[in-house]
Amino acid sequence: MKLIVNTFGTQVRLKQEVTLESASCTLQQVLEALRKEHGAALSRFLTDSGAPVEGVAILINGRNMLSLDRYGTMIHDGDELTLTVQVAGGSE
Amino acid sequence: MKGTHGKLLEVDLTSGKTRDLPIPEEYFHGYLGGRGLGARLLFDMLPQGVDPLSPENLLFFLTGPLTGSMTTGSSKFVVVTKSPATRGWCDAYSSGRIAVQLKKVGYDGMVIRGRANEPCYLRIDDQGLDIRDARHLWGKDSFETEHLLREAEGETSSLGVSSIGPAGEKLVKIACINSDFYRQAGRGGVGAVMGSKQLKAIVIKGREGAEIHDRKCLVALNRENYQRALVSPVAQARMKYGTPLTLNITHSGGILPTKNFQFSTWAKALEKIDSVGVYKSLKTHKSCVSCFVHCSLVTEAAEGKYKGVTVEGPEYETLGLFGSNLLIDSLPIIIQANVLCDKLGVDTISAGNLIGFIMECFEWGILSPRDMDGLAIAFGDGESALAAIELTAYRRGFGDVMAEGVKGAAAHIGQTSERFGMQVKGLEFPAYEPRGAFGSGLSYAVSPRGACHRRAWPPAKEILGGYPPYTAEGKAEMIRQLYDDNCVLHSLLVCDMPGKFIPLSLDDYANYFQAVTGETVSRQDFLHIAGRVETLIRMFNLREGFTRKDDTLPYRTLFEPLPDGPARGQCVGEANLNRMIDEYYACRGWDAAGVPTPSTLQKYDLANS
Repeated sequence: MKLIVNTFGTQVRLKQEVTLESASCTLQQVLEALRKEHGAALSRFLTDSGAPVEGVAILINGRNMLSLDRYGTMIHDGDELTLTVQVAGGSE
Repeated sequence: MKGTHGKLLEVDLTSGKTRDLPIPEEYFHGYLGGRGLGARLLFDMLPQGVDPLSPENLLFFLTGPLTGSMTTGSSKFVVVTKSPATRGWCDAYSSGRIAVQLKKVGYDGMVIRGRANEPCYLRIDDQGLDIRDARHLWGKDSFETEHLLREAEGETSSLGVSSIGPAGEKLVKIACINSDFYRQAGRGGVGAVMGSKQLKAIVIKGREGAEIHDRKCLVALNRENYQRALVSPVAQARMKYGTPLTLNITHSGGILPTKNFQFSTWAKALEKIDSVGVYKSLKTHKSCVSCFVHCSLVTEAAEGKYKGVTVEGPEYETLGLFGSNLLIDSLPIIIQANVLCDKLGVDTISAGNLIGFIMECFEWGILSPRDMDGLAIAFGDGESALAAIELTAYRRGFGDVMAEGVKGAAAHIGQTSERFGMQVKGLEFPAYEPRGAFGSGLSYAVSPRGACHRRAWPPAKEILGGYPPYTAEGKAEMIRQLYDDNCVLHSLLVCDMPGKFIPLSLDDYANYFQAVTGETVSRQDFLHIAGRVETLIRMFNLREGFTRKDDTLPYRTLFEPLPDGPARGQCVGEANLNRMIDEYYACRGWDAAGVPTPSTLQKYDLANS
């Protein structure tokens, strides 16, 4: 399946296409695969085990995985994954 | 208490008299400073029912115990007054040298009452205060005014200068107060209150700040927290990209205001007016006085008619409300709009929202070029947006209607336009769509100053955190906690940004507080004070005639399902809003009408207020 991956951190990268072998799988499996195949690029967002580093949130099609089925959330072809630092707000 | 002077400078512009007002020590213990002190003082000193633009209204400039102490993010001040936009409580925050300089001339703040016969400005130094003729400044924009005042003082670096532009002079209800050229106390029409007093500017030049209890400890805390910032991925991203990074998050999360809040995402914004687009136009980073976090960006328009125009900004709110909200994907136009608003003294949040409202009126045929002296204002048309800023700031033609803000303009225009007038209590929405995160809806609805993004930042919980966004469940307690945390920071008075991205907790600020004042305060003590402050502000608004009916949201937010984005099909709904408000009042200790109960008043020592 093809995923769209955005990363918002000290480098902002938008709409990166990532191809994974399986047709659909859990977020946990996707993160492990991403860490394996794109480890260097994602090292600021994911630990070696594929968990997000402290201060990083994972959005699936705009929804935080914590408010879905967490690591068990099913990911499908064409889904958009956003790994972002938890910046806040705009000033007055 | 160390860190404070225990006095306020009172200036009566009608009589020209000034005096020192002592601030009782227990006020600092019970309210800290900033917002908290402002709540106590405005409640005590402003009679009920005063017209916000009359000489009787009071205009406070207040600092906090940490102001000017070197605590990171401590060059903040708050303007507290009765708002001409909402006719209720108003607190508008800004960074600026004037905050530090107020402390350096020996005051914790100042209060201005009355109305001068002629335009004037205040000049304050160690020797005292002069009320000076400002007829030569009246009519000039904020940038020129500040340049002239700095030139007159013969120095440009540490001087504190705050001023209003033509919008403040014309009593425009979205007028702001400018400091250090690019910093604004933006919300609620505080610039109009200053203009109503014929007060063009304030210049302050001091020497020594308040006594610090333990300077060595303060320096050590800053060192330690700076090291934390250096290894925090959040702080590092924020110091590189500034608040424009928020646009990528609100677009992804489906809460980016688009086309006057008709939509919640806008793909055309990406790489043009988001963090990537703004970063391409970066000239340099800046930080506020007294802050080691350089999260402000200075940018320069790179192309087109406005090539070379420079601004400190644009911040996220300006990008959201002048960008996606108006369907403008040209960063140079947004930079120019930012500069124009700053010069003329108009709040960019309210202005962008207001112009979006007018554009939608045009789209529905409710307004036409005949109403605007031939000007057509259409979504995506940057030049017409710029023209609308000027019309509003000078109250020219239809600008006289726009100068009343969205609520006033909708009342004038009629034809059910109030349904898409995105405001609460007369204050325009900032750049977050509540249908994609219901907590923002509650936060806007119950905020005493109207739709406010500074009391709470719910996307931290509903987009970046684990709170389900499209439900009322748990939102009341969530908002109460966010409100109380920010109330503490806005009373101390420090910027709430470093606290979020280093991150610093209330325990960290208790350490700063002890280093500056010598007093030990726990997190629980801070939160108890916040509960008192928010309840007293509620009492102020109740006294001014506000009721539960004012804690509401626009028709669009309540009843029109979002057509796009992750929150497609969502609207807040009356039942959800009522439930959230019921629960919010309950966790504040207020009754179903939003009136603090006797036991709550007793708990916060407010029974005699």
